[in-house]
Amino acid sequence: MRIPRLAALGAVAAIVLAACTGGGESPSASAGGSGAGTADCTVAVSWNNYQEERWALRDEPNIQAALDEVGAEYISADAGSSEEQQATDIETLLADGADVLIILAQNTETILPSVQAAIDQGVPVIGYDRLIESPDALYVSFDNVAVGRMQAEAVLGQVSEGNFVIIKGNGADANSDFLRQGYVEAGVPAEGESSDTITIVGETYTDNWDPALAQTEMEQFLTENNNEVDAVLSENDGMAGGVVAALEAQGLAGAIPVSGQDGDIAALNRVALGTQTVDVWKDARELGRAAGEAAAALCSNPDITAVADTVDFDSPGGNTLTSILLDPIPITQDNLQVVLDAEWISTDDLCQGVEAGSVDACP
Amino acid sequence: MSEVSTPARLSTLDRLRAGLGRASEAAGAVIRTADIDTRLLGLLGALAIIWVGFNIASGGDFLTPRNLWNLSVQSASIAIMATGMVLVIVSRNIDLSVGALLGFLGYTMAMLQITWIPETLGLGLEQPFTWIATLLVGLILGALLGGLQGFVTAYGGVPSFIVTLGGLLIWRGLIFSYADGQTLAPMDSTFRLLGGGPQGSLGEWPSWIVGIIACVAIVLSLYMSRRRKRKYGFTQRPMWAEIALAVLLCGAVLAGVWVTNSYPWPEALAARYAAEHGITPPPGGLNIPTGIAIPVLIMIVVTVVMTYIATRRRFGRNVFAFGGNPEAARLGGINTRRTLMWVFGLMGLLCGISAAIQTARLNAAVTGLGVQNELDVISAAVIGGTSFAGGIGSIPGAVLGAVVMQSLRSGMLLLRVDSPTQDIVVGIVLVTAVGLDSLLRRRRG
Repeated sequence: MRIPRLAALGAVAAIVLAACTGGGESPSASAGGSGAGTADCTVAVSWNNYQEERWALRDEPNIQAALDEVGAEYISADAGSSEEQQATDIETLLADGADVLIILAQNTETILPSVQAAIDQGVPVIGYDRLIESPDALYVSFDNVAVGRMQAEAVLGQVSEGNFVIIKGNGADANSDFLRQGYVEAGVPAEGESSDTITIVGETYTDNWDPALAQTEMEQFLTENNNEVDAVLSENDGMAGGVVAALEAQGLAGAIPVSGQDGDIAALNRVALGTQTVDVWKDARELGRAAGEAAAALCSNPDITAVADTVDFDSPGGNTLTSILLDPIPITQDNLQVVLDAEWISTDDLCQGVEAGSVDACP
Repeated sequence: MSEVSTPARLSTLDRLRAGLGRASEAAGAVIRTADIDTRLLGLLGALAIIWVGFNIASGGDFLTPRNLWNLSVQSASIAIMATGMVLVIVSRNIDLSVGALLGFLGYTMAMLQITWIPETLGLGLEQPFTWIATLLVGLILGALLGGLQGFVTAYGGVPSFIVTLGGLLIWRGLIFSYADGQTLAPMDSTFRLLGGGPQGSLGEWPSWIVGIIACVAIVLSLYMSRRRKRKYGFTQRPMWAEIALAVLLCGAVLAGVWVTNSYPWPEALAARYAAEHGITPPPGGLNIPTGIAIPVLIMIVVTVVMTYIATRRRFGRNVFAFGGNPEAARLGGINTRRTLMWVFGLMGLLCGISAAIQTARLNAAVTGLGVQNELDVISAAVIGGTSFAGGIGSIPGAVLGAVVMQSLRSGMLLLRVDSPTQDIVVGIVLVTAVGLDSLLRRRRG
């Protein structure tokens, strides 16, 4: 009995070791700083859910790059989509000696006590990408209302009247409503209303922005309206994928404009193919860069109002937030070159299945 | 409170009560003599109430060929996994990893057809063998990983709750190792047929042929079962019951085929088809019946095969025997450990099938693929009458359970019920269904 048990223990130890050493991309505590400068400054990032496409690939390296330049140290933790875990993570990061805290909040409300705890310890907080309803935190994000407006403008540019379907993201995510607000600014009626030209024949939130759920929702809306749908406003690319799959099954893909955002590889390919009208692209690298630079600035001066390029942003919770708001870029068939030039996507991926010469970016 | 009632009224009530009693007794007697599974009958009744209810509430939008066709496709993936979950639960185990395993297998199949075959092997996209190669890899890998969980449970003595909880975390975590969790799309065009859609359906005549084969099979299996019962001297159903059952079942099958054939290809697709094949469409457009969707056909085949394995093969009977009384089964000479491992292997294989269907249907592999599917699968099996006490469970019941769940979901979506309320309703239905079932089982003794 002794030997098998020892062997089992050894195997477990080996697995744990392998997991620890092999996780080069693992978000847990990878030291970044090396150079001179504010070498004793530690910047901590609390991710709400690191297991999504963009964070490891786009955001994190650029935060780290900005910190490397000033020699600040980078530590991080992943909350795996859990509010409680994020509160624990932030306690741990503060105990680890964080001097500046960057938070990608799972929940704009429940994060507040953690933010307050950091502020009370004199640690400045940056609300990254997602809003935190605290005037003490610096809000660094893309202008999400503008994202919604750009989606709606691109769709309205193709079809300005008729039956619209609106597929919104998670109901608990403030971004879903910012985007919806942008639709209204562009001339789409608010929920439950209709205008002379536009009727909303289907509108729903989608739990966890789930693409498969969005597909089922779209199928039901098409069934209910006997396919008499003229345009679809989908709040992100994943759900747009589900919407396009539902349209394809009805032979309508490409005939009905569909919006999205995030610059997903598959979505940009759909834009090139013509099955998705617009992909509002928020260059996450730029966002990471901006947050990294702001954090570096806060290392030497913890006053958030002293950070360069800030504007005041009136939040839905009635707070005036000191903010850095970056401008997104709507990508359509006409300007696909932008994402190629930025090396966001390769020509092969962008043009897969696209008839050569049908769009400028795919010769 | 007054105890006094007019005699006339009393007698009317009494007569009514007696009449009802006699009627229900008579119905009970018919069901008993006809030897029909009352639980299945109850589920069918519940399904009928749900369907008619939604149809009235939605102003006739629910019971349309198109919506029923959608419903059949939307139920397929959960129903397929639920057939395996029945055996898992019957053997007094649980598998919490099915959703995560499905996600992992879906991602693996997507990587194969989008990256590994075209780029790593340098063969290019859209190879004629791509779909079958990916499907086979998905199924085999699913069976292996499921079997591994079964091995650890059966031979390692770790409770399946823990093993599959670990599995859930591991498979979900591994998904991220593929391309940093990037969405993978689009899928191979042949592979996509597995997901349904009008092109991924059988069409008019093949659907009728499937229906007729199913009818012949029903009649044959009733006949064989009757002969077997006679051979072993069991009570047989009266002949009228056999005939009525055959007519009813065949009628249901053919009605199902008729419904799928009444859903014509969408106009835009039909017009494109006409243009591609040089057909001049008649006024009003080409009418191409859609027929049974491929994922639904897969679901039917899986249900038949799994029912056969569960009720007619030694393996299936061993699972039920073990679930009913593990100690007796072991003493009776059943290799319980191996049986258990096979149960989980089979579950993994079914996850592979469902993973192919879901990725093909969405035309993409996304990180959230299969999230919370384990809950839907377990609910479907339990609503279908599978007991956590072990030893009791029905595979057709689980399939019906999946259809009930999906009917509730898509009906509520049609009525614009928001998702938190949907969850509440599904939760109440789940507990009520199981509560009623155990109440009836106790009363029957």
